[in-house]
Amino acid sequence: MKVELYNHLVRNGLTRRSMLKGAASAGALAAMGGAIPSIASASSSIRAEIMKIPGVGMGSPGDAEWQKVGELCLGPVKERVKPGEFKGVELTFMGLNNQNLHNFLFRGFLKPWEAYTGAKINWIDLAQADYNPRLQQSIATKTVDFDIIEMGAPFEGDTAGQGLLNEMPDWVKDQIDYNDLVGYLQPPVGTWDGKAYRINIDGDCHTFCYRTDYFGSGSITGRANPPKTWQEVNQISKDVVGKTDPLTGLPAHGFLDPLKGWGGFGMYFLTDRAGPYVKHPDDPAFLFDVDTMKPRINNPGWVQAIQDVMDLIAIEGAYPADQINADPGTTGFQQFLAGTGSMLTWWGDIGSNARTSDSSVIGDVVGFNMIPGSDRVYNHNKGAWENTYNEAPNNAYLGWGVYVTNRVEGDSKKRQAAWSAAAHIGGKDLSLWTSAYPSGFQPYRNSHFNYDEWEAAGYDRAFVEDYLGSNLDTYNHPNSLNEPRIPGIFQYYSVAEDELAKGFAGQYGSAQETADAIAVAWEKITDSIGRDSQIALYKASMGL
Amino acid sequence: MSSPEGDYLHIVMPDQISVRRQQLGRLIIWGSACALFLVVILQSLDQVNFFSIGFENWRPTLYAYLLWAFCLCLGQVILYGEQGKRRLFILPAVLFVVSVVIFPLIFALGIAFSSWNLSSPDGRQFNGLDNVYQMWTDPFYWNAMKNMVYYTLVILLEYIVAFGLALLLNAQIRGRKFFRVVFLMPLMLSPVAVSWMIGKSMLEARFGPISRLARELGWDNPSFFGSPEMARAVIMIMDAWTFIPLMMIMILAGLQAIPKEMHEAAEVDGASPWKKFWEITFPLMLPVSITAILIRIIFKLKLADIIINVTSGGPGGATDSVTSFIFREYRDRSNVGYGTFLAIFYLIIIVIAMTVLIKLSDRWMKPRY
Repeated sequence: MKVELYNHLVRNGLTRRSMLKGAASAGALAAMGGAIPSIASASSSIRAEIMKIPGVGMGSPGDAEWQKVGELCLGPVKERVKPGEFKGVELTFMGLNNQNLHNFLFRGFLKPWEAYTGAKINWIDLAQADYNPRLQQSIATKTVDFDIIEMGAPFEGDTAGQGLLNEMPDWVKDQIDYNDLVGYLQPPVGTWDGKAYRINIDGDCHTFCYRTDYFGSGSITGRANPPKTWQEVNQISKDVVGKTDPLTGLPAHGFLDPLKGWGGFGMYFLTDRAGPYVKHPDDPAFLFDVDTMKPRINNPGWVQAIQDVMDLIAIEGAYPADQINADPGTTGFQQFLAGTGSMLTWWGDIGSNARTSDSSVIGDVVGFNMIPGSDRVYNHNKGAWENTYNEAPNNAYLGWGVYVTNRVEGDSKKRQAAWSAAAHIGGKDLSLWTSAYPSGFQPYRNSHFNYDEWEAAGYDRAFVEDYLGSNLDTYNHPNSLNEPRIPGIFQYYSVAEDELAKGFAGQYGSAQETADAIAVAWEKITDSIGRDSQIALYKASMGL
Repeated sequence: MSSPEGDYLHIVMPDQISVRRQQLGRLIIWGSACALFLVVILQSLDQVNFFSIGFENWRPTLYAYLLWAFCLCLGQVILYGEQGKRRLFILPAVLFVVSVVIFPLIFALGIAFSSWNLSSPDGRQFNGLDNVYQMWTDPFYWNAMKNMVYYTLVILLEYIVAFGLALLLNAQIRGRKFFRVVFLMPLMLSPVAVSWMIGKSMLEARFGPISRLARELGWDNPSFFGSPEMARAVIMIMDAWTFIPLMMIMILAGLQAIPKEMHEAAEVDGASPWKKFWEITFPLMLPVSITAILIRIIFKLKLADIIINVTSGGPGGATDSVTSFIFREYRDRSNVGYGTFLAIFYLIIIVIAMTVLIKLSDRWMKPRY
């Protein structure tokens, strides 16, 4: 769970009574033992037990708790590995140090594993900003110096696509209950050419955040409900120009588009807008043609999304001043949370910060939905618009996973040790704990959505259902946007941001010209990386 | 060298080196050179998969180079005796510079003429002059170059402000020492901190204190980064605020070195304050001024951190500097070959421009006494 969300739950959603009730329930569940076989399995008992560490509302867990959880979840490892079996094996684990979580958590979880198996793990901790260059340089200079890596699925093209990863053994799939994943994380995500490489540890998606005080009777929009389509979003943004924000008394604004780049990540936000226009339910592709890697960024659907933004830029007051210099960090944290603007798309952080961040003023007037759809969708293969309602929520970034590199090949003991370590931190029971407590990771397994377990642990049922339910809707949407896991995907995003910035600043004549410039730049990148290999990898990434 | 009778001048005379010793010296030098050459050849062939020796990295070549460097130094002493020892005062430094400057530059040149996208499975490929052509037709790069011209020209204004401040601090004003410290403080701040404190916080359009003040003063919707001209100007001001103290402190040091007698003599002759400044202070300060401006230009040409943090080069490239553009090209897009070429080209431009500037300023550096 994201740290902020946990804090939010603790501060707002949890009373002492509910916590005690939860603890009692969990205790009762544990005490029922063999009375009810379905609940009293060893796993259920462990799940209930780890959900009490340290107990919801009992402060943030630290290394002692992480080790304890790691110890309690060692069962599946012990079933397959003898004590001391990996003595003498040294593994190197490369991951992040964001918010003092990620690798710090893994260290705690894996300490009992090291003590039991006799293996030793060396750690490479990286800041988020250093991650991509470090990984790319390791790959390009053939100096991959890590056996296990924490990595986002978008980089699978750079790694699995270049044969740098080791295929997941079947026993690992059994150990982690491989198929227990929400819809969008099911293969082909995590696989390449039909082979599985990824142990999921996280889920990611964008959701639609809106101000509830902008809607309802007597509101400044005059609308009963938040928008269901991007057409409505734009209309609302135009309608509120010149009106006063009901909360801050400052000028009201509609949707907050980030108009400045964000190291490639800003592209996800245009994709939120474009998704329902360009992601046709009958076609898995939306960024490139599968057979040629010809960019679709300048097709009428994408152009419409860019035009929607340009339309709002052209209206004075539709955006806050200086929006041209606002990146997603600004729109999310400096604008929306501070009461500027009424609609936004973002990852879960905004929802969790809305009530916990000191700088947020919108805690009581914020609501969440799936990303809006569109009244029409562009069918790229037919080259025509279809006037049917279409939804395409954006599973931006696809979440973190753990992978084993091919450095372990040729040494069966080391390979088994690496996969055992990776499977331990991606284990089914342990992942429930990371979903429920501050870890930086979101729920991602179907089994995480068993609300009874959360309630038993002491969480407020209504909030958990709301929070988990909104994630689940997006994760399992049949037409969700899953970005292509091809090499250099962030290069495409980064150059698109540069061209969009020029377009939004009025340096191109139209949205079409802007999109055409991006298409030209994308073609260059494809040629630079290698078109044939990109086509092959694109197909592989889509499971075609 | 000293003796009981007193100190005598020590003169290094050519030693009498035996033929055998000379042969040994040459053997050590040429033997280690051959070893180095051999290792480089083997390593290169291994690298291009001509055959496999199993070199995992370039350390064998590094070790061979270190051995050769040591033998070269040792060989000087064996071959030339006392004269050789004198060479040892400079030779290790030369070898070190060659190792950390010349070699990397040669490697960088190799990379600059390559297509090397880190995501490409083909790795680095020599691509001749393709990067030159790409640069020539790259509007983002030339836009950044144009911005650099604007940024650099502003140094003249910065110089005037810095000179004024230095004159103030050189005058007999109350709290002079306090103001010297205060005026120096921006220089002590990291440009990244300046970016966040000023660019992202104080100038924040709705809630930043400067924006609030602007609103109080009648500017309805203050926008500091909304238009290209405004954004560029604000970046210039933030950068100037950070670095004017550097010029100021150099000029102040120069002002304090001017003999008071000259001003006193001018006063006796009845010179006005302006006359004293224009005929005495300014000409005497020319060498310091030129140095300060040249150093400032060098700093300015590296301008990147404020831009990266505050505007990312926007709006529409209006604030992009060459360095911030190369940063994006290299880091965000992993385009190592092209990025390196842009950096090398920029380096050449800087070297030429600075050489011309220094030559031109030679004339001005001579004070008009």
